[in-house]
Amino acid sequence: LPAGLSQWFPALEVLDVSGTGLAELGAELLALPRLHTLLAKNNRLGGPGSLPKGLGQAPLGRSLRVLNLSGNRFAEVPPALLGLRGLQSLSLGGNRLHGIPPEIQELRSLEFLYLGGNFITSIPPELANLPSLNYLVLCDNKIQSIPPQLAQLHSLRSLSLHNNLLTYLPREIINLVHLEELSLRGNPLVVRFVRDLTYNPPSLQELAGRTIKTRNVPYAPSDLPENLVRYLSLASNCPNPKCGGVYFDSCVRQIKFVDFCGKYRLPLMHYLCSPECSSPCSSASQSSTSQSESDSEDEASVAARRMQKVLLG
Amino acid sequence: MEQPVQTETWKAQSLEELVRILHRIFAEDKVSVEEVQALMESYESNPEEWLQYAKFDQYRYTRNLVDNGNGKFNLMILCWGEGHGSSIHDHTDSHCFMKILQGNLKETLFEWPEKKGNGEMAKKSERVLRENQCAYINDSIGLHRVENISHTESAVSLHLYSPPFDSCNTFDQRTGHKHKVKMTFYSQFGERTLC
Repeated sequence: LPAGLSQWFPALEVLDVSGTGLAELGAELLALPRLHTLLAKNNRLGGPGSLPKGLGQAPLGRSLRVLNLSGNRFAEVPPALLGLRGLQSLSLGGNRLHGIPPEIQELRSLEFLYLGGNFITSIPPELANLPSLNYLVLCDNKIQSIPPQLAQLHSLRSLSLHNNLLTYLPREIINLVHLEELSLRGNPLVVRFVRDLTYNPPSLQELAGRTIKTRNVPYAPSDLPENLVRYLSLASNCPNPKCGGVYFDSCVRQIKFVDFCGKYRLPLMHYLCSPECSSPCSSASQSSTSQSESDSEDEASVAARRMQKVLLG
Repeated sequence: MEQPVQTETWKAQSLEELVRILHRIFAEDKVSVEEVQALMESYESNPEEWLQYAKFDQYRYTRNLVDNGNGKFNLMILCWGEGHGSSIHDHTDSHCFMKILQGNLKETLFEWPEKKGNGEMAKKSERVLRENQCAYINDSIGLHRVENISHTESAVSLHLYSPPFDSCNTFDQRTGHKHKVKMTFYSQFGERTLC
């Protein structure tokens, strides 16, 4: 890019340098205070220094709303762009990303995030801390599971997950009440009830942790090594309303099928603290296949009616 | 035994001319699929002529009505953002022509599921349609899914359906179960329709 760019065109609002073979976007861009849309698709960006340093603090960093870097060679989300607090739309589709940094949550204004066509294997729960996100595209990646925290994205209207490696979804997904589009095709979703999900019995540490929590044994940070204090803070509550127990790492993973529109059965993963517990979905304890295949009404019926428009393709 | 229809070789020089010729063809009692397909392919896409109909939606593909063919056909423009795709669907006993105006679309053909459909639907074939190519399908050929698999480019396609229809069945690829859906227009004649 020419060095005099910001002097010649100080009022520049939209810049499209797509398909120009650029290997870096330089500091010439930083002083453009009115630039809100930068399109740089199909270039050779991706190496260190692809984006100018100090992007977040520069005039450009405050004005930029739309950034399209799809079709480049980024192997990681460039840290330079994480300071763009005003950014509303980010596309890194068709790059070489292997993951999403938890710092993605710093893009507080993000509404549109396109990460389709990469090599992403997992999603950080911090992604759920984006308060305005309404369109999330994660299709054509290598994602094996969705963190349940993603259900906190209350404003999500469209979620694209097709062509990944998902076998089930977290049951919290039905809490996404504004979701209108959900694509799941091309995932090896479990179709039939898996009878023997292995249960690893809890360790002594886990059993001690559970006792401390359920009996409210008082403790202070000075009483325990730091790692155990942290461990105790990670207790999860058993979803069985009659149980009230907690678990740490050892839990029963149980797949329940939830009907949508009576046509599409989504396998949702429930975590229970022991095989004797039952999930909120059913009132009786379950051990038989037919039980779990038929009891989908309670939890699902309300959410299912909301999600009836969802195209599950 | 049907009489073969006199097929002409048309060349539509503009979108307007394409519509005019379509009206002429569909005014007849018999219409030849090959003739319509060749006509659609003959039109060289010129964005200036159809940009007013190409309204994109952030979340999913849109259907924008261009002409309602005196009730004989519907001509519409579909706009596909990056990664947008359709479900597997049928065509309610109508003829469906699909011409690419911009970008590329992948078409995957499926067999009709068995009556007691409870297994994964069988894929017949797939292909990527390039700019100006025109594909044809009807229920006797099978079902299809259409998607823009590009993560960097949007796609625009021109569709002709005859007779017009406003509902069809969508199919769950994993089980073959079908579900009737109503189709709506995002815009008509260049004006956004709010519903």
